[in-house]
Amino acid sequence: MKFLYHILWKDHSRTHLLWAFLGTLAGFVLLLAGVQFYLDIRKVLSENQDLLDPEYIVINKKVNIGQTLGLSRVGFSAEELEEITAQPFADKVAPFLANQFPVSGYTENERFPDFSTELFFEAIPDEYIDVKSNDWKWDLDEGTIPIIIPQDYLNLYNFGFAPSQGLPQIPKGVISLINFTIRLKGSGQGNYGDYTGRIVGFSNRIHSILVPLEFLEWANETYGYFEKNDPAQVILVSKDPTDPAIIKFLEDKGYDTIREKLKSSRMNIILKFIISFLLVVATIIIGLAFLVFLLSLQLMISRSSEKIKRLNKLGYHFREISRPYIVLLGILMVGVTGLSLLITSLLTRQFSSMAAEWSLEISSSLYGIIYGMALGLIALISITNVVAILVSTKKLCK
Amino acid sequence: MTIRFEKMIPLPLLEQDTSGSKVWEADSILFEQGKRYIIEAPSGRGKTSLLSVIYGIRKDIRGEVYMENTPISGFTWKEWAHIRKTKLSYIFQGLELFDNLTGLENILLKNAITGYKTKEEITEMASRLGIEEFLHRKAGILSFGQQQRVAIVRALCQPFHYLLADECFSHIDLENSLKAYTLILEECKAQEAGLILTSLHETELPNVDERLEL
Repeated sequence: MKFLYHILWKDHSRTHLLWAFLGTLAGFVLLLAGVQFYLDIRKVLSENQDLLDPEYIVINKKVNIGQTLGLSRVGFSAEELEEITAQPFADKVAPFLANQFPVSGYTENERFPDFSTELFFEAIPDEYIDVKSNDWKWDLDEGTIPIIIPQDYLNLYNFGFAPSQGLPQIPKGVISLINFTIRLKGSGQGNYGDYTGRIVGFSNRIHSILVPLEFLEWANETYGYFEKNDPAQVILVSKDPTDPAIIKFLEDKGYDTIREKLKSSRMNIILKFIISFLLVVATIIIGLAFLVFLLSLQLMISRSSEKIKRLNKLGYHFREISRPYIVLLGILMVGVTGLSLLITSLLTRQFSSMAAEWSLEISSSLYGIIYGMALGLIALISITNVVAILVSTKKLCK
Repeated sequence: MTIRFEKMIPLPLLEQDTSGSKVWEADSILFEQGKRYIIEAPSGRGKTSLLSVIYGIRKDIRGEVYMENTPISGFTWKEWAHIRKTKLSYIFQGLELFDNLTGLENILLKNAITGYKTKEEITEMASRLGIEEFLHRKAGILSFGQQQRVAIVRALCQPFHYLLADECFSHIDLENSLKAYTLILEECKAQEAGLILTSLHETELPNVDERLEL
């Protein structure tokens, strides 16, 4: 039988097969490495996110001219709230409660310059707040209102306002010692109450002046006379802030948020885009290489057509005649599978040790699905080629 | 196994004058296994066509050929592959050797699918035909006469009911032709097979049961 191989393999074009082999190999490595790295990076992203708390995302409507002119609503209606709650990425959702009465605050302390300002308050359930403080409670009898302001406000004062006005900078610890007087005004003359306000913490999460929900509900009841507005801001908790659906939803709805918080979601979108691009390129390469393979083998067969006809005359069955081609195909396919898995796992190991330098933990061995993909694709290419070989050798046999 | 022609004629011959032909003009021709037939005719009278039709590589015919009363037009490629391995052996006029294989390899290529002869038997047959020393040369560089003898040995490396020999002595001297003919007859006898041999000229070959002119 070795003579059969001797006869039929003589007619192959080494360059054709080499290019087909290299093309398939390149396509395979690109595809397998792409999928492997995608799985790795996705794992890293979600793992890193797990280290932190679930992401708290404060969203509001984009301010447009319509809202300025009072034509469109600033707040979220009940339906819109419901829609947000229904999103799969939103694990918990809470609207911000706002004060429905005028608030002002001022200092009466000889050590600090006098300060007087109109204020606003907002409140959300405690579980959404990143500041934990024992003072964060409302007790009517005590009459002290705990307040949380954004860390940024303090920074603005300490590093912006105070130096430019020749005022002293105030450390966090000190600011908590300063008591303010907070005046809540109800409707009608003389209907007001003075309370002591104290800053008990600084939030990095929420850009608003927060008071305990319990207090604000009580105060709205007691002093409130504004028409009740829809909440202007909504806070939602997402366990998977990498979910690209978040950004898409916000953009579709014209909602706004602090973009920084969603960078992993955005990164995920970019990553998906790059990977899909890579996969498309890999698929095209594999497709082309597959065609070259198919054509090279067909060319080989048609170059040998006289010999095949002769073998057929000698009594050779077309299956016996196609065996050398199938064996050649098999050798090349095993080569492609082995080499592409080898190269991909070397790349993976390299990538993993590089990532380790950036203290990212990435698997240094291939995922099972990579082997599955390689074998599946090889099977597909091989089967198609075997069928093509059988069909075209049979055509030459009488 | 009998082979019977029923008004069979290859289509191209219909356009030729075949008057006087014992085969093409006949209603029926019967070949019987174990008998030796010689078909003599000048070029272009359809000798090779006749053998090719029997061997199933020509199908453009009028009429029908029956093998043991089965019309061959109904045979599948599978059946033909089987027939060419076990029932019909063919010494092609064009020899159909592979130039880049040695004489021996050409013979073994056939023997590989039949497993009919041992290497010793093959060498013995080759030495009887005086080509043993050429067996290890590439077929492409052998003389046509030597190649013909390689093809003869190759054709004997399989079981058959009929041996179809197409001008197989055309380039072999008389002495060697007789040796080859003897070998062929021995093999046919051993296999109880028939022989259909074509020749350009009237031959002096002995032991012929029937001579047919085309």
